[in-house]
Amino acid sequence: MREQRRKDAVWQFLTYAFVVTMVVVMMVPLYWMLVAATLPQEQFLQFPPRLIPGTAFLDNFAALQDRLDFVRTIRNSVLIAVIYTLLSLVLCSMAGFAFAKYEFKFKEPIFYTILATLVLPIQLLVIPLFLLMAQLDWTNTFRAIILPWAANPIGIFLMRQNMKSIPDALLESARMDGATEFQIFYRIALPTMRSSLAALAIILFLFQWDLFLYPLVILESADMYTIPIGLAQLTGFQRIYYDQIMVAATLAIVPMVVLFLVLQKQFVSGILAGSLKE
Amino acid sequence: MSGITISGLDKVYDSGTENVVAVEDLSVEINHGEFLVLVGPSGCGKSTTLRCLAGLEDVTNGSIRFGDGDVTDLRASERDVAMVFQNYALYPHMTVRGNIGFGLKLSTKMTGDKIEQKVENVAEMLGISELLNEKPKSLSGGQQQRVALGRAIVREPSVFLMDEPLSNLDAKLRSDMRTELQELQADLDVTTVYVTHDQTEAMAMGDRIAVMDDGVLQQVGAPEDVYRSPVNQFVADFIGSPSINLFTADVDGATLRGPGEFTYELVDPEPVAGHDRVSVGVRPEDITVVEAGQNTADVTVVEPMGNENFLYMEMAGHELTARVAPAVRPTEGTHVPFDFDEAALYLFDAETGDALKTKTDTVDSAIVGTTED
Repeated sequence: MREQRRKDAVWQFLTYAFVVTMVVVMMVPLYWMLVAATLPQEQFLQFPPRLIPGTAFLDNFAALQDRLDFVRTIRNSVLIAVIYTLLSLVLCSMAGFAFAKYEFKFKEPIFYTILATLVLPIQLLVIPLFLLMAQLDWTNTFRAIILPWAANPIGIFLMRQNMKSIPDALLESARMDGATEFQIFYRIALPTMRSSLAALAIILFLFQWDLFLYPLVILESADMYTIPIGLAQLTGFQRIYYDQIMVAATLAIVPMVVLFLVLQKQFVSGILAGSLKE
Repeated sequence: MSGITISGLDKVYDSGTENVVAVEDLSVEINHGEFLVLVGPSGCGKSTTLRCLAGLEDVTNGSIRFGDGDVTDLRASERDVAMVFQNYALYPHMTVRGNIGFGLKLSTKMTGDKIEQKVENVAEMLGISELLNEKPKSLSGGQQQRVALGRAIVREPSVFLMDEPLSNLDAKLRSDMRTELQELQADLDVTTVYVTHDQTEAMAMGDRIAVMDDGVLQQVGAPEDVYRSPVNQFVADFIGSPSINLFTADVDGATLRGPGEFTYELVDPEPVAGHDRVSVGVRPEDITVVEAGQNTADVTVVEPMGNENFLYMEMAGHELTARVAPAVRPTEGTHVPFDFDEAALYLFDAETGDALKTKTDTVDSAIVGTTED
């Protein structure tokens, strides 16, 4: 008994030690980013590095804003990511619902074809997509950034898997209550999928937020730049503006953090609990 | 308000390589306001039949009429039916109020106030008024069951369909709800089709019961008729708890022989004329333990129920069950003589299972209740 308890304690200690180590490993670069954003460039490069925050954040930001109009860049990124996320949530959940709950011809082949597109790297798609957008005369527009990725295969797959867990009886019950198929989708299926939708929203937002190569090809004028492209502009041929990059990177994670905090309360498990008596 | 006429209903599932026949040539007429119980073992097609009535499954052949109207090709929402599902299927994200009112909100042009009023009336009728603002997950099984019922009742449908609605409740609650459901159905006077695999429930609740096996309707009738005069061995075996005792015997003139030393002299050998072998059926309550007799069995287990005893016996490798008075408790492992009345005897064709003879004993009807006016 006592032996067992000691073993448990050792295990618990090791688990905590592992978790703490992982947290430190992940937090150090983040901390360094935050500190570096507050240091003037010369202190950034000194050795040993300074680990206490300085006071140059606003100066660095002013310099960044001067060079790039970073506020506008963030606004572009947020606008694109928000519209993309909303649009893609609608499309992915509708497609996922159809694949999970309806029978139609060629359902399986279509689904696997969609899944298969996952193996295509973005780098491969950039040139054909650019040519397509050029033909449509959509270059240097936000819709060219948003629309090609709107039906996201990961999103469709995720929603299909989750929607399979909605009991058929629930949908049939709504059908008997006189709901149309679309009402069943948005009044019954969607509300029970809140936590999955929240998780998917973060995945989609992050995908669009980090997109670099494709917008770089499509967006031509500086007033259309998104954050990743803006950041890339700070790496000049003669010098790299580390101080400004760090400020920009720090600001770039703010919307992500906000999004996560907003959606966090949706991640409550057991939304479907109490619907069916097992 | 309407009765139901099902004629020649077939339901065949096309599972790619082979066709699975779930329901075959089912015809039955259900009267207005009747409580019909569809009963049978799992996979017998009773739930499929119900789903066809609901409009959740397409019908392969045949037709379904509610009253005068053919509903065969109507969608579920156009049939004016309400269904209670086995696992209740409550909308988890809505309150009880939302759950009950959902159908009215979608399928009628009623105002919000009117709907609210109806929801509250139904909730009061079912005794769940204080739960109206709760979510389903905070309710007990019995309460969820009432909400599911409320959702069906509130729409005032012309037909109620119930798919094993009580099977998830514990035994005590189940028998309470059984009575309550019957009373409710009688009050509302709505034609009801109720599916269950539990023959006790079927016997207790149905005005008539319809026994199904393997997609085919075996018999429709009042519970007592089905119990006393089953059309075949399957129905006799399925209806009644504990099950009827069945064994095969050779026919030797007016004498039934086997298994083992078993012999039984028939006073009226007419039903077995022309048969070499028959299936013999005796209900457990018709077996009596006697002082001395022709036939004996070994007692293996005695189950005292308080008001009666169940004797499990063995006769030449065949199990026999007897329901006897509590005073009759032979020691386990002993040999007891038993007997039964010919009037209580069932005989079935050994090959086809068709009934040759069923109970002819009289039911004691000395006490008949009076109706108060």
